[in-house]
Amino acid sequence: MKSSLLSLILACCMAIAVVGCRDKNTIDETPEETVTTGQLTLRMNAKWGTENFVIEEVYNDTYGNRIRVDQFLSYLSQIRLVRVDGSEVMLKDFTLADFERDITLTFNVPVGNYVGLKMGLGVPEAYNKDVDPAQYPSSHPLSVAGSQGMFWYWNTGYIFTKFEGKIDTTGTPDAELLDSFLFHIGDDPYYRELNFTDRDIRITTSGEAALQLNIFVDQILAPASGASIDLATDAVTHTSEQDVLANAFFDNYAAAITLE
Amino acid sequence: MPSSTIMRRLLHWSKLLLILGLCNCSTTPNDQQKDTPVKLKVPSAFPALALPEDNLPTRARIELGRRLFYHTDLSVDGKTHCGTCHVQSSAFTDGKNIAQGAHGQSGRRNTPTLANLGWSPYLMAEGGVPSLELQALAPLHEPAEMGVNMMDGVAKINRHDDLRALNRIAYGRDSLDPFTITRALAAFQRTMISGDSKYDQHKYGLATLTEVERKGMELFFSHRLQCSACHSEPFFTDYGFYNVGLYSTYSDPGLERKTHLKSDSGKFKTPTLRNIAVTAPYMHDGSLNTLEDVVAFYNKGGNGHTQQDKRIRELHLTPQEEEALIAFLHTLTDWNFLQQKSLAPWEE
Repeated sequence: MKSSLLSLILACCMAIAVVGCRDKNTIDETPEETVTTGQLTLRMNAKWGTENFVIEEVYNDTYGNRIRVDQFLSYLSQIRLVRVDGSEVMLKDFTLADFERDITLTFNVPVGNYVGLKMGLGVPEAYNKDVDPAQYPSSHPLSVAGSQGMFWYWNTGYIFTKFEGKIDTTGTPDAELLDSFLFHIGDDPYYRELNFTDRDIRITTSGEAALQLNIFVDQILAPASGASIDLATDAVTHTSEQDVLANAFFDNYAAAITLE
Repeated sequence: MPSSTIMRRLLHWSKLLLILGLCNCSTTPNDQQKDTPVKLKVPSAFPALALPEDNLPTRARIELGRRLFYHTDLSVDGKTHCGTCHVQSSAFTDGKNIAQGAHGQSGRRNTPTLANLGWSPYLMAEGGVPSLELQALAPLHEPAEMGVNMMDGVAKINRHDDLRALNRIAYGRDSLDPFTITRALAAFQRTMISGDSKYDQHKYGLATLTEVERKGMELFFSHRLQCSACHSEPFFTDYGFYNVGLYSTYSDPGLERKTHLKSDSGKFKTPTLRNIAVTAPYMHDGSLNTLEDVVAFYNKGGNGHTQQDKRIRELHLTPQEEEALIAFLHTLTDWNFLQQKSLAPWEE
């Protein structure tokens, strides 16, 4: 009897503890208002031309280099849906996209018609420098664990994007890719706001709305307009002030993202 | 469980409770204990120490920080701890030209002292980190220092009951995490206060400098040498960044690494001269082995870098003046600081 009572008390305590410890950051995809909601998925789909982009796959760039991207991580922040009247619904404050994996975010959104999607490429100034990653719970993308090394500990500030890999510039098919390229980009001036307007996004209780963010990796290096990047000669940046290469990369990157 | 193990654990717990002054027959380490605030002993010549509201010093926080500072579980190789490079008897430096961290991996620069870091307006060689709490992440993460994946380190450190008990008392959390680890390390480092050298005692009227030391002191503070323009009291640093012309071409960009300005090329933070006699070798890269080498370098007036500070010029010191200057620098050693038990590795 005594042990049963003890078990009951213990079970109650555990239940309270589990409920009490729920991390608020795990539910930040859901608006807090008690309104009728429908589901929206946002898939991030990296592409190389018309094909799906695959980490560690070898591609030919427009300069005749054979390149292999081994790591491509990027912060997206303040992802918002825009209503007809211009007001916004926050979907997610931060996410760290690792293009090695399929990235699909699911949100419960107030039903209605929306005309746009906005987001930041990088980490906004207020959350970037002199911010202590240790203050966030481990599940948060800006935390020590969640940031996956995307923080400059010697100087503070988040690395917005890491794009690293190997390259062969000899033009010899099947030659080993021996040279490295590395783009670590992140400082307040490099934060970019993406704004996809004139959309027709309908959220209903019955259906599931789906958006796809296409990231054309080939166009980061060879944009339709803007400065192209030859990894044979421009292979490394850790971001500096008025860094031409970092600027070109991030401008191209922002332009290489489309919404469908 | 063998009885010897049980006895060892009991002894360990009783020691922990004694350290915290919390020994109470009706409590166990799992109970919610009250922590004790600590008033740090600041030398009267020092300004007040600004303390972060969310990490005020307490006995448990400082003790937890000390244990973490000397704990090898926070390193990738399980053999390195903060005290590997920051050795107390050398004023928390290591005697090496360039620091060597986990797996013997070489760093980029000479290990700096940790004395009086609580007053430093910014941390790290380029001054890019604003607090000791945030700074603690840098050496843990840096491959040439502790090199640990923080979450692996957290998992390992949480295996220690004594640390979890201290953590609970110090920060009210059942498990150590990056927040409590960095706070505790910072709390411990703020206790590394050094202001009791022979020179300090001389200023308080408690000691007398020799004739040579006094002559060196006069030279040090003289307009002719201007040493104290940058190595200013009470910390013998102004925390500024200067190019002293150690090289005509630097392989290390210095402050330029942070600002990306060519005008900051070869600029390094003024190091404190407190305990300087025990922190050889010198300069950002440990390239000058003795104080004699350093004084000779400044006497020569640098090597003529384009950004060299104008105050670095030929000093025309006589051998006797060089000797006196070095004698004065020796009076800046705080022997109590080098032996203070509360800063040493704890005895299990």
